[in-house]
Amino acid sequence: MERSEEALPDSAGLVLPSSTITANSSANSRGPPQWPTIDGPLGLSEEDSIEYARRFFKFGFLFLPWLWALNCFYFWPVLRHSPSFPHIRPYVVRSAIGFTVFTALLGSWALTFAIGGERLFSHVWDELLMYNFADKYGLTGWI
Amino acid sequence: MDQNSRTRRTILESLGEEIIRIITPVSICMFLVVILVSILNTNNDSSSSQSISTIATIAYTEDSSDSTWDKLKGALLNSLVFVAVVTAVTFFLVLLFYFRCTKFLKYYMGFSSFLVLAFTGGEIALLLVQDLSFPVDCVTFLLVLYNFTVVGVLAVFMSKMAIFVTQGYLVVIGMLVAYWFTLLPEWTTWVLLVAMSLYDLAAVLLPGGPLRLLVELAISRDEDIPALVYEARPVNHHDSGGGLTQRSWRRSSGDESANSGSNVGSAHLPSGSCENRAYVEEVGAAGGDSALSAPLIERRIDVQMHLAEDVVPGENLALEGIGLGSSGAIKLGLGDFIFYSVLVGRAAMYDFMTVYACYLAIIAGLGITLMLLAVYQKALPALPVSVMLGVLFYLLTRLLLEAFVVECSINLLMF
Repeated sequence: MERSEEALPDSAGLVLPSSTITANSSANSRGPPQWPTIDGPLGLSEEDSIEYARRFFKFGFLFLPWLWALNCFYFWPVLRHSPSFPHIRPYVVRSAIGFTVFTALLGSWALTFAIGGERLFSHVWDELLMYNFADKYGLTGWI
Repeated sequence: MDQNSRTRRTILESLGEEIIRIITPVSICMFLVVILVSILNTNNDSSSSQSISTIATIAYTEDSSDSTWDKLKGALLNSLVFVAVVTAVTFFLVLLFYFRCTKFLKYYMGFSSFLVLAFTGGEIALLLVQDLSFPVDCVTFLLVLYNFTVVGVLAVFMSKMAIFVTQGYLVVIGMLVAYWFTLLPEWTTWVLLVAMSLYDLAAVLLPGGPLRLLVELAISRDEDIPALVYEARPVNHHDSGGGLTQRSWRRSSGDESANSGSNVGSAHLPSGSCENRAYVEEVGAAGGDSALSAPLIERRIDVQMHLAEDVVPGENLALEGIGLGSSGAIKLGLGDFIFYSVLVGRAAMYDFMTVYACYLAIIAGLGITLMLLAVYQKALPALPVSVMLGVLFYLLTRLLLEAFVVECSINLLMF
């Protein structure tokens, strides 16, 4: 199988599969990054990013810590390089803080529930357990 | 085209990388479905008792006590009904697209992915929790499911989420629908796979085929169809001063106006100027609803309407396609993911030997399809070659290879 069309482009010779992702960060080591998103040139421009970062941050307040985490993931170059992107940075940092706090709370509750078990909660544990909960409300019969 | 002093990439690096970038998610999807099937089906082995009433079993409900001929006839009937529904819905989709109801299509796509993630995903997660006796409470579970679903809908709906996240969610959606399909009775599944690949062949290549009409409509209007299509990350061509427009490759949602081949950057790409399209439409049926999916390989059209799984009556059309995006990145429709995974999942229900054989067959078929795509430069169906090879290998393995291997192992001859 061969490419019969135009000659192969002379590219930056990125060999690794993750090269497109890390291409941005390799540029970062030379100076301030050009692109605020993790996708590099395929992602958003700086002006669009501000709007998106703000929207992700605000939506995260609807009990969506996963959205906050994605916000941080998406704008990872913003987090890594402190002086650049002064407009986007506050939102991303606050998203990171929010995600950490929320996960800590949720994780501690889930761990307490799982480890404490019946000893801690007595009969309420059985009611709160997911599969009992599902059986009670008939949620498993759909498939 | 910039001709720098840098050395040219070898054909292995550029071509191989593009192919790897499409084979990896397909493999991951198949792998996840095989895992799901092996975990969830070891407990309920009597699959005949798990008959779900869907549009795919409306004509005949398979019973393990029926004779082979009866099962075959019933399966044929079921598949015929299914393909007929898919065809009808696809034509409806073409009609909608013709009347420029793109907004409606987009919302429908978001809505259907919500249904898949929330209900099918929730169901499967619940089954997993039950089977593994995982002590999770309902608050945590519901919160996590809610998060997962909402972000998934955003990722699929919006074109501006992180590429990795969108790709991940598309693979997850494919996995969930594929697992749902494996719950159909056995004969029905196999005949359905063959029927869908024949339908795909007809719909894309025949002049009157709905998918071909859709593709031509989209080309003539230079628009994107809103669809669930997996688009691989484009390879290389990111020079520092590159003229590649930022979102020229994004085709996963139809809200952009098509920047046809006018991207300067597309000339950089080896396959940049190709307009290959294949659409995959998917139709899934659940509880009276049918989701149509027709596999299509399409380069720049993304259409996806996914049908509600359980509760909502109506039909979702999912158009997927495999093709080359204007940036040269390969696009594969979600229907292809789903049907490949259904094949492998079904093979997993028998034994892992069939899984390996079918996996190799599907990957080989995918490679052949990509080759044909490069040669013919037009819309191509992604299902036929892979599914036919897969079914053939499954039958050969089950009937011939297994006996051979087992006898050899018993007599300590090989393996």
